[in-house]
Amino acid sequence: MAFLLNCPNCGARNVYDFRFGGEVLTRPEPEADNDVLTEYLYFRENADGEQREWWNHTMGCRKWFVATRNTHTNEVLSTQWPDDPIAESDW
Amino acid sequence: MSRSSSRIPATSQELIDRGKPVHFEFQGRRIEAYEGDTVSSALSAFRVDIHSRSFKYHRPRGLLCVAGRCPNCLMTVDGVPNVRTCTAPVRENMQVITQNAWPSTEHDALSIFDRLDRLMPVGFYYKALHKPKFLWELARPIIRRIAGLGSVDIASDGGPASYHSNAHTDVAVIGGGPAGMSAALSAAEAGADVTLIDDQALPGGHLLTEIREHADLSAMSGHEIAADLRDKVNAHPQISVMSNSSVFGLYQGNLLAIQTGRDALNLRAKHVVMATGTFEVPHQFQNNDLPGIMLTSGALRLARLWGIAPGKTVVVSTKDDSGYWAALNLADAGIAVSAVLDDRLEPENSLVELVRSAKIEAFAGQTVLSARGAKRVKSITVASPNGEKRNIACDLVCMSGEWQAASGLLLQSHEAEVNHDGTVKDLRAAGVSVAGSIAGAHSLSIIFASGRLAGNQAAIASGFKVAKEDSADTTFSVTSHQTAEATTTALKKSFVCFCEDVSTKDIAIAVTEGFGDVQTLKRYTTSTMGPCQGKMCHKAFVEVAALNLGLNVQAVGATTSRPPAQPVPLGTLAGPNHMPRKRSPLHHVHDLLGAEIVELGPWLRPHNYGSPQNEALAVRNRVGLIDVSTLGKLDVRGPDAGALLDRVYTHRFSNLRKGHIRYGLLCSETGSIMDDGTVTRMDDDRYFVSTTTGNVDAIEDWFNWWLAGTGLDVSVTNVTAAWGAINVAGPRARETLAKLTDVDLSPDAFDYMRTAQGDVAGVPSIFLRIGFVGETGWELHFPAEYAEHLWNAVMEAGSEYGISPFGLEAQRILRLEKGHIIVNQDTDAVTDPLSAGMRWAVRFDKPDFIGRAGLAATRGRDRDQALVGFVTDDGFVPEDGLCIVTNGEPVGRITSSRLSPTRGVGFGLAWVPHGMARDGTRIAIQSGRNEWPATVITEPLYDPEGLRLRT
Repeated sequence: MAFLLNCPNCGARNVYDFRFGGEVLTRPEPEADNDVLTEYLYFRENADGEQREWWNHTMGCRKWFVATRNTHTNEVLSTQWPDDPIAESDW
Repeated sequence: MSRSSSRIPATSQELIDRGKPVHFEFQGRRIEAYEGDTVSSALSAFRVDIHSRSFKYHRPRGLLCVAGRCPNCLMTVDGVPNVRTCTAPVRENMQVITQNAWPSTEHDALSIFDRLDRLMPVGFYYKALHKPKFLWELARPIIRRIAGLGSVDIASDGGPASYHSNAHTDVAVIGGGPAGMSAALSAAEAGADVTLIDDQALPGGHLLTEIREHADLSAMSGHEIAADLRDKVNAHPQISVMSNSSVFGLYQGNLLAIQTGRDALNLRAKHVVMATGTFEVPHQFQNNDLPGIMLTSGALRLARLWGIAPGKTVVVSTKDDSGYWAALNLADAGIAVSAVLDDRLEPENSLVELVRSAKIEAFAGQTVLSARGAKRVKSITVASPNGEKRNIACDLVCMSGEWQAASGLLLQSHEAEVNHDGTVKDLRAAGVSVAGSIAGAHSLSIIFASGRLAGNQAAIASGFKVAKEDSADTTFSVTSHQTAEATTTALKKSFVCFCEDVSTKDIAIAVTEGFGDVQTLKRYTTSTMGPCQGKMCHKAFVEVAALNLGLNVQAVGATTSRPPAQPVPLGTLAGPNHMPRKRSPLHHVHDLLGAEIVELGPWLRPHNYGSPQNEALAVRNRVGLIDVSTLGKLDVRGPDAGALLDRVYTHRFSNLRKGHIRYGLLCSETGSIMDDGTVTRMDDDRYFVSTTTGNVDAIEDWFNWWLAGTGLDVSVTNVTAAWGAINVAGPRARETLAKLTDVDLSPDAFDYMRTAQGDVAGVPSIFLRIGFVGETGWELHFPAEYAEHLWNAVMEAGSEYGISPFGLEAQRILRLEKGHIIVNQDTDAVTDPLSAGMRWAVRFDKPDFIGRAGLAATRGRDRDQALVGFVTDDGFVPEDGLCIVTNGEPVGRITSSRLSPTRGVGFGLAWVPHGMARDGTRIAIQSGRNEWPATVITEPLYDPEGLRLRT
């Protein structure tokens, strides 16, 4: 694994400069039932293909952003701030 | 050593400086060498023929490639095993010893295995030693000892650390031969930054030893052309040259892993030019591994680069024209070449005439059948086309004309394909161009053309323009080497793989045993799996496999190329300890006080200043001072700061009044304790947050993660290094600090868990009245630059009250007496606040916080275990981590335990079953075979009402 990741703040950097934050999840409502909570806390999609995931530029600006990456080829399709509207083409 | 030197008269292209002798020790004997020598060249000059003993049969092995590729010259140098001595430069007083031989490589008793080969066919231990089961256990240590390479000195500290560095370049050119150098020049001329990496001491590749003139290019000889190119490369400001450096990995995104000396470099290139060339590889005949049988390129390197006659009576066996040129080259160096034996039936006539005019005999259609000799070749048996066999006496056989592409690195690219016909797939889309003989270019003019082409391609790929006449689309014809049909039969001592002692017969046996696939055949025979990683054997391995399988080589395929392409010491891969060392702004003060320093995460902290017990008593009875600069400190500001803290902490902070402090507990989403600290409200929109030492980076990330995308108006700034901090605590703390500040510290004016700001000894400080150690005290935070001044002022002010600095250990004792937990010492990854007895810190009335759902789900349930205090009988102080047992079965564990300086008893914190978590419960602690009695306490040992810290 040696690909480059494009930090929206700093630009393309070695992936080792970043910390992986896992799949982007939707946090359930606090009063959600146990099945939903269990799903959220303990189960992951582990996609073989495109995945939206959190990354933190720990060795740089220390900001969190969202990348869409193909987990099979490590091709990074896009990176964006978490509050950026997600382009139609990214879905 | 009394042997005469085999040096020949000096030539212009040699690398040694005969005016500068260097001495080193080989097997305890002093050897004189010259600056520029390698260990192997120096040993060859002293006619040391046997450089190593082979892996399995302990056969004598001498120099073969002399270029750092084959396994024949591995020795232990200055305690480092498996050094390729043919590329290791000599250093004054270096200690060189041989490996895998007893008592010596010259007389190796273990060479008996060479005669016992019948007992040890390929895969013998899979067949012979698998039943009964214990047999393998018995045999393994013996086999491991007698077969192998050098041994690692486990007592050694490994010497100085290796360093890792990272770099970027537009174009990386791998290989410093004529193709690589011309590629580097054309890419650099187009404006690209170029890094040229060559694994030899001097760029030039095969031209370094060439003396013939290339009339079609210039009137210069090969080595002069190389020198001319080298000068241009060295002079070019945009080319940086790395010699003696090997690229061992080609990774995604053109990341090159490079070993240079002991160190490693990760080089990221926009485009890579592979100009790794071709290796000469051995011919197949019986005893083809005897010392004195060398690759022709190796013999030429010895003669031309280090001025050594590699033999006295030389025969060149060749499969193409290169052997003739080599014979002329050796003869020119004054080495007697008796004959050129050409494998081909119809050699190039002009070349035959040329060598005959130099008084060298030349014969066509010659097949070398076998070699004889004990410790060095004495003669070879050769078959002529008419079937007639004859012996030729010689002490050096040069093997020419069998070439293998140096494609180990290229094939690590997932896009690359193996083509046995010498063609290479266009890999430009994958960021790689190929140049020189690896691309099928063999005449020097075509090598240059392919180098320039690849250089232009690389420049264009990295965003530069090339002049029109240098278009990157030029095509040139590629001449492929004629590859002779392999005809080798199964011979016991015709070695395909020198590293692992695999002969043609071993491969034939493996094929008859059913190993029909090149990958399984490789694993079963271990061919190509030794230190050379197939550099000397891959071609022969595939050809011999094809012959035995009745297939053509293309159908057999190839083994998979993986990093490392060249063996790399583990120490180089591991690199240095990258853990940053962080020092408090008071580190210097602690050193002067003679503190014992310990590592705590990245920090260096004073463990004690002599006596932790006395330091703790000073805090209880008088006043103490501790450096707490290592605490994580976050400045959280913004209109939504309270909302963020309410979200991440179990407590509520939006309602914290200005000037007040509250304990904060952070949980993970599942409700496990992550960290704790204090939260101080400095202002309406400003909080000062402390975290445990070493955890601040993770907590900063955690805060920012829960902020990301929420639109909350908060900024989190890590001010850990900007602020120094000390804690002044004890019954005389107030009097001590009062001398230094105008801030009213009286009990009525400055309550427990309150903050204030003001100068201390002239230094603007934040006062936090908190009590981790359980006494009246203030944590002072101040600009780190003033730390030493402030420390000294407090020490002086407290001297009349008997102030003492206290270290980490005293602090741990003091907090334990108060029953205050340390996250990750008294808690683990699944401890939640409810089981740790911290229900008071969790506000379920908040609609949401991180970890609420997990805690709420289990809220009503009894926990299996509870964290309680305990006091031992008889003053026994158990170690941290000992078991609590019932009827000899472990039921709980001790997390912290110390001797109480105030009560003189052994005590601590322990996890015990829920039913035992009552005051007065008797428990047993197991230590070794003994059980020690103790009593559970549910209140702090010291000042359970907390009166002292509120006074």
